[in-house]
Amino acid sequence: MKKFRGSVIALAASALVLSACSGGEPAPGGFPGVIVSDTHAYLASNFALYKVSLDNVTEVWRFGAGKNPAQPDVSFAGQPVRLGGAIVVGGGIGTSMIDNHVYGVSDETGLELWRFRGSAESREYVDGVSTDGKLIFAPNGDGNLYALDPSQLTSINEDGVERKTPRLAWTFAATNKLWSRPAVADGRLYQASMDHKLYALDAATGRLLWTFDKATAPIGVRPAIAGGMVYFGAFDNTFYALDAATGALKWRTVLDAWLWSDPIVDRGVVYSADVRGKVHALKADTGQALWWLETRNAVRAQPVISGDTLYVVSLDTLVYAIDLTNVRPAADGRIEYKDVTRKWKDEVNLGRRMTSTPVLSGPNLWVPLFDGDVKLQSLDLGNGARKLAFPIKK
Amino acid sequence: MGFDLFDFFINNPLTNALLLLYGLLGRNFVLAILVLTVIIKLITLPLTFRQQVSSMKMAAMQPKIKELQEKYKSEPQKLMEEQRKLGFSPLSGCLPLLIQFPVLIGLYNAITRSLAVTPMSLLDLGKHVYSFLPNISSLMPIDSKFLIWDLGQPDTAYLIPFLPIGIIPILVILTTYLSNRLMTPPSTDPQSAQMNQTMQWMMPIMFGMFMFTAPVGLGFYWLVSNLMGVGQYYLLKPRIDHAKRQYALPNAGGTAAVSNSVVKSKSAATPAPPAPLPKSKGRGAPSIELSKPKDKDKNKK
Repeated sequence: MKKFRGSVIALAASALVLSACSGGEPAPGGFPGVIVSDTHAYLASNFALYKVSLDNVTEVWRFGAGKNPAQPDVSFAGQPVRLGGAIVVGGGIGTSMIDNHVYGVSDETGLELWRFRGSAESREYVDGVSTDGKLIFAPNGDGNLYALDPSQLTSINEDGVERKTPRLAWTFAATNKLWSRPAVADGRLYQASMDHKLYALDAATGRLLWTFDKATAPIGVRPAIAGGMVYFGAFDNTFYALDAATGALKWRTVLDAWLWSDPIVDRGVVYSADVRGKVHALKADTGQALWWLETRNAVRAQPVISGDTLYVVSLDTLVYAIDLTNVRPAADGRIEYKDVTRKWKDEVNLGRRMTSTPVLSGPNLWVPLFDGDVKLQSLDLGNGARKLAFPIKK
Repeated sequence: MGFDLFDFFINNPLTNALLLLYGLLGRNFVLAILVLTVIIKLITLPLTFRQQVSSMKMAAMQPKIKELQEKYKSEPQKLMEEQRKLGFSPLSGCLPLLIQFPVLIGLYNAITRSLAVTPMSLLDLGKHVYSFLPNISSLMPIDSKFLIWDLGQPDTAYLIPFLPIGIIPILVILTTYLSNRLMTPPSTDPQSAQMNQTMQWMMPIMFGMFMFTAPVGLGFYWLVSNLMGVGQYYLLKPRIDHAKRQYALPNAGGTAAVSNSVVKSKSAATPAPPAPLPKSKGRGAPSIELSKPKDKDKNKK
């Protein structure tokens, strides 16, 4: 027995180490995404797409995918869209696998209506999909932007199962990963790429209209389109404004860190945030820096505006409500949060990292959480009080 | 942004050094891993040597320590004093290892961060690249293709078709075993020797299992690191052999059958202070195998 004591101890230690690697729901590989209708939220988070009632946060249905229907192992990420009677969502990076499908799920029943796979080389859909009301635009990690027409379904046989798949209207190939959704406006589609370029395409045909190639690092955001301009930040710490029609550079402003937060334009001001936690306000017509606020960790989610308040969620687990009528920056442009929040007493700490854009619905701000048991939290816009959390604790 | 000491002193410099090398070496990530691992191994070479020698010294003292523990069972203060007199310091073997350990963890973090397989890891990378280093961000995203592998994905280059065991995990298992076998300090305590022996096959299997699902880039790092460890062993071999002779230890890395004669021998129990190390750095210098029967007999006498 003594002879085997060492082996037994070593085996026990190994088992302990290995068991530490499992158990519980693993952290998601991609960022969750949420959209809301008048009555429901649709949340893509980790291993499921959920339809949740906004009244009482009860789960109406959940959609999972994978080889074993009893144990869905496909990770969903990014923002879903609603088109017709379907909720469309992309497969993302899971803990042990990448899913390369786009799924159309019945809004009514939560059952799969169709699925699409670009090719055997297709990879993840990190930021979800976009739509112009007719086509679904699905940017993939393989560098392809797939335009799908779900009004025309055909049958396919995948892994021995008969399924429906939408018609592939067109494909556009960039030279590196597409990790952001395209912005669609006026029949044009603006797609950023990790190949350091921003492409403008004809949304109906996929024809390339122009390419902006002056950025020196990846572009990972969904551009903001306003007043005939295209606004976006890049990983070269620079914020760019282009002419939407021609792609000509109007201005650029060098900031402090990678910009990976979708910008938003409101009343002549562009708001963006960087991965070191600074929220920036720039003049939309000149790029002049107006002010900046420092959070305590990276900001990846798009800021949202309701009335005169800018809401920002950060990886630091805090939600900030900035009163835009009360901003008085210091000489270096810095503003202190305590000086610019009037409605909320303080930052709201949700105790979980936040990477995805919150959505506004009536008097509530719905915030998707990156990790932890609570996947979606609603806050009172007025005072920041926590209201409903999904899933409901049993 | 919060301040993290480990990030500031270890993770960030290594991540940025790796990215810098990636840029300098023609955007070849495996080459960057190789060069950075070599640099780190060379910097930590003196520590590795000290740790090896110190471990051997402690192992050689074990019989005497046991004697003292028996003798001063009820006088812990006296026991500590006696141990101190003998030069026994259980931490002296670990300390160099403890210094190297954060660097190894940092290198591991640098690789996983730089490969940025998931969006969250890319976000994490963005927080830690030095903005004062020109063009680091322009290197993104890392070209993760190397020969038949995607460095950010688990190895699917299977040795045997339909048997999901990749080439890199197998090589990691083999080199971890080889490296462990050479680097494990010998033990005069049969129980420790048994434990060492078990760990020598357990560790490679554990690493191998981890590598089945880990990105290939990490596998390359372990491979390079193990091979460097083996190279380091042969580089230090003349000095290690010399130390072994001084402390009268068996030559094989903890796997040699440790005879009771060695454990009980007076010469082993009270090692003589080490003589100056040989100036010659000739490789493969003949070592004295004290565990050979002839030597054992001598010890008995």
